[in-house]
Amino acid sequence: MPVECNKGEFVMITEIFTYIDPEPPVPANGGSLEGITVAVQPTMGVRGWPTEAGSVALERYVALEDATVVDRLRREGATIIGSTRISELGFGLVGDTSARAVSEGAVDVALAMDTMGEARIAAASAHLFGYKPSYGIVSRFGLIGLIPSMECFGMIARTPREISSVLSVMAGKDDHDFSMSDEFPDFESFDAVTVENVKLGVVREAMEFLDQDAYRAFRSSLSYLEKAGMSIREVSLDEYDLFRTIHNVIGSVEASSSAGKYDGVRYGHRAQAVKNWNEMYLKSRGEAFGLPVKAYLFQGAYFQFENYEAFDSACRIRSMLVRLMESLHETVDYLILPMKSGNVPASDMKTIDEIYGLCSHALPANVTGVPVIYMPGGLFGRETDPGFQLLAPRLGDARLLAFAAHLFDQAEGGV
Amino acid sequence: MDYEAVIGLEIHIQLNSDTKMFCNCPNRPGDEPNKNTCPVCLWFPGAIPQFSGEVLEKAALAALALNCEIQDHTAFDQKVYYYPDLPKGYQLSQFHKPLAKNGWIEINDDEGRPKRIGIRQVHMEEDVARLVHETEGKTPISLVDFNRAGTPLIEIVSEPDIRNSHEAMEYIKVLRSQIRYVGSAECSMEQGTMRVDANISIRPRGSDHFNTKVEVKNMNSIHNVGAAITYEISRQAERLNAGESIVLHTRLWDPDRNVTVAMRGKFEGPCVPDPSVPPIIVSHEWLSDIRSRLPEMPSGKSERFIRQYGLTRDEAVLMSSERDLSEYFEAVAGDAVTPRTAYQWIMTQLNPLLKDYRQTISETVVTPKRLASLLAMLESDVLNAKSAREVLSKLFESDQTPEAIVEQYGFRQVSDSDELEGLVEQVLSDNPQAIDDFKAGNEKALGFLIGQGMRASQGKANPKLMKDMITRKLQE
Repeated sequence: MPVECNKGEFVMITEIFTYIDPEPPVPANGGSLEGITVAVQPTMGVRGWPTEAGSVALERYVALEDATVVDRLRREGATIIGSTRISELGFGLVGDTSARAVSEGAVDVALAMDTMGEARIAAASAHLFGYKPSYGIVSRFGLIGLIPSMECFGMIARTPREISSVLSVMAGKDDHDFSMSDEFPDFESFDAVTVENVKLGVVREAMEFLDQDAYRAFRSSLSYLEKAGMSIREVSLDEYDLFRTIHNVIGSVEASSSAGKYDGVRYGHRAQAVKNWNEMYLKSRGEAFGLPVKAYLFQGAYFQFENYEAFDSACRIRSMLVRLMESLHETVDYLILPMKSGNVPASDMKTIDEIYGLCSHALPANVTGVPVIYMPGGLFGRETDPGFQLLAPRLGDARLLAFAAHLFDQAEGGV
Repeated sequence: MDYEAVIGLEIHIQLNSDTKMFCNCPNRPGDEPNKNTCPVCLWFPGAIPQFSGEVLEKAALAALALNCEIQDHTAFDQKVYYYPDLPKGYQLSQFHKPLAKNGWIEINDDEGRPKRIGIRQVHMEEDVARLVHETEGKTPISLVDFNRAGTPLIEIVSEPDIRNSHEAMEYIKVLRSQIRYVGSAECSMEQGTMRVDANISIRPRGSDHFNTKVEVKNMNSIHNVGAAITYEISRQAERLNAGESIVLHTRLWDPDRNVTVAMRGKFEGPCVPDPSVPPIIVSHEWLSDIRSRLPEMPSGKSERFIRQYGLTRDEAVLMSSERDLSEYFEAVAGDAVTPRTAYQWIMTQLNPLLKDYRQTISETVVTPKRLASLLAMLESDVLNAKSAREVLSKLFESDQTPEAIVEQYGFRQVSDSDELEGLVEQVLSDNPQAIDDFKAGNEKALGFLIGQGMRASQGKANPKLMKDMITRKLQE
């Protein structure tokens, strides 16, 4: 089933996009997303588009099928404009342009694969809202991922309402993805929320990771909420520092397996002048992957082959962390976490340690599969404030987004 | 020293589901290469495996046929290794949470006593692609056929309860029969839908130690499994007697030379829980539905055949060994046909003809109904045995009923004594010498005269009636 890439060569390239659809299909009439423009990433399948996932390992790979998400968005009238730039296999944020596609006005909503906070961290760099849905409510069919148990279609937009309307279309059962949830958030029933009696909890141990300036800026971001009459109390999660280790161990093991299929035989980069298949494998993969990905895959293989016990422990600790998050959510409606620990640009974070340092506060939501929204700083305080993340229990997406939209309206109204 | 062998078998069986394990491609590995493929079984980026409910049912039925306990919570693992027949870098298999555990089957040991062989576990796994290495020509190339990639297998791991070749071969036969009974697989070693690996170690008789084992592969018939085990036991005994020790390794059976040969150490990869295929939670309702589909199994059926039909134990075991055969037998043996006649005609007359005509018992044109009407005529003396055999041959060539064939070819037996009277008179007057011999006490002469009478009737005379009439005449 050969699929021809639209317009042959990959000529439609800009600073933001690796590919722009030269002839987008006429949008469906009367859908809930009529007039909305969306950017995808080259890890998301659009039939006939180059889908190289930012990696030589997938060079000249053209998607055979539409991702379920792409199909659902188009049916509701959205136009998929093009595919943004991404770091290799979406690991880290070097060269990522998803947030720029929104901030520079190219699209209304950018989809960004969120495996370790990418959508939120990219949003934070451009004063936009970033969102990661509950695990299992959006089909992953057609997503070229790296860490299947953590990755999601994340979103970046100017308002929580845009995120909500796009997510309500993307979410839902898909026969192509058996790992999906049996239950889904009800986006209809959360039109009107109030902030009265809302209980917020900020995780004490997360703040201990912030230096003095970052702490002050974070508290300043939250002051808006307090002024609006919401009580924020401190809650404790002693094991907070484990999220990073657990994500790193499990993530690298899953990545090592997921990237195993890039052998250069059926598609992607294939080394020339080799003596036998073994050498072809080694050379093709050696030439294909960049340093951070290579290091991450090596690390995963280490746990698989040499230290399975550590991986096994990590899986058990992960279950414990899921339960701890659930019990915290029994005491508060939303958890608050900082987004960033410092001010180094995401594009400078290139080693595994640096990437995890950049993402550390984003990881709890990926490890435990709960929904999370990044609320940009400029809205609620000074322009330079770092903003914060709001986390809800799993499947609490509709309520979380309605709450965020309410806060946004109040901020816009100049409360 | 007197040694005893400790043997465990690992048997891979290809299930006969319509589709592959994680996609809707047809489960037909033999088709034109790479015809039955899709983004899932080619492991294209963005594809997600979708586990087949039909495969789960067939695997569970097979496990139940081996008296296993289906586990409430079962899941897939990734068996990680890199080889061109497995281009995603891992095989989806079950290691930590297998489908079923704690089963057993009963065999007869080499002295005919019943013996239970334990089954440790039954788990599911996907098969890998087929490699074809073309070494002829200037540049050797390796070709990959993905038709087999992702087709469903179950692996059945026995306890180390087997002690010799006889038991190993019996175990395979009984296991094969029970799995065929539930319709989950064809189980043909010759066609590669059943593959047997043997783990063999030996120890001084009376010891309860487990010594270092050797794995033997590449046996493509039950006979070869027996031969390989016998060879390997004596090879290990010789080594030990020579003061050497046994090291853990894998050997291949060489059927041409009848020896096992050491192969290069095989790398065992790790097994990591797979994050893409959701765990399988078996509900009580689902399991009772599967259980309700279990047919009467061969051991129970053979007991019933002894009770209900009066077959001997050997006959009953034979008649219940294959489900198709047992159902055919029961469809023939009925009011008009005694079970013994049905058994004898199926074994001695029908079976050779099936071979000649290359038909199977389940698909033969000689349906149980047609054979039953034929045998009913035999038993009510409408036909004699010789004619019945001829009618049976004709049933393979014609779609007429046995009754119509009997009428058309005049096979009807002559049981009318008036009609036979003349024949008998003629035979006696033609053979005065034989009459004299008989009267002189030579019993054989009677047989000769009956034979002459049957010949004169062109085989249609009722032989019993003919005998009675000649005997009476001679005694007059």
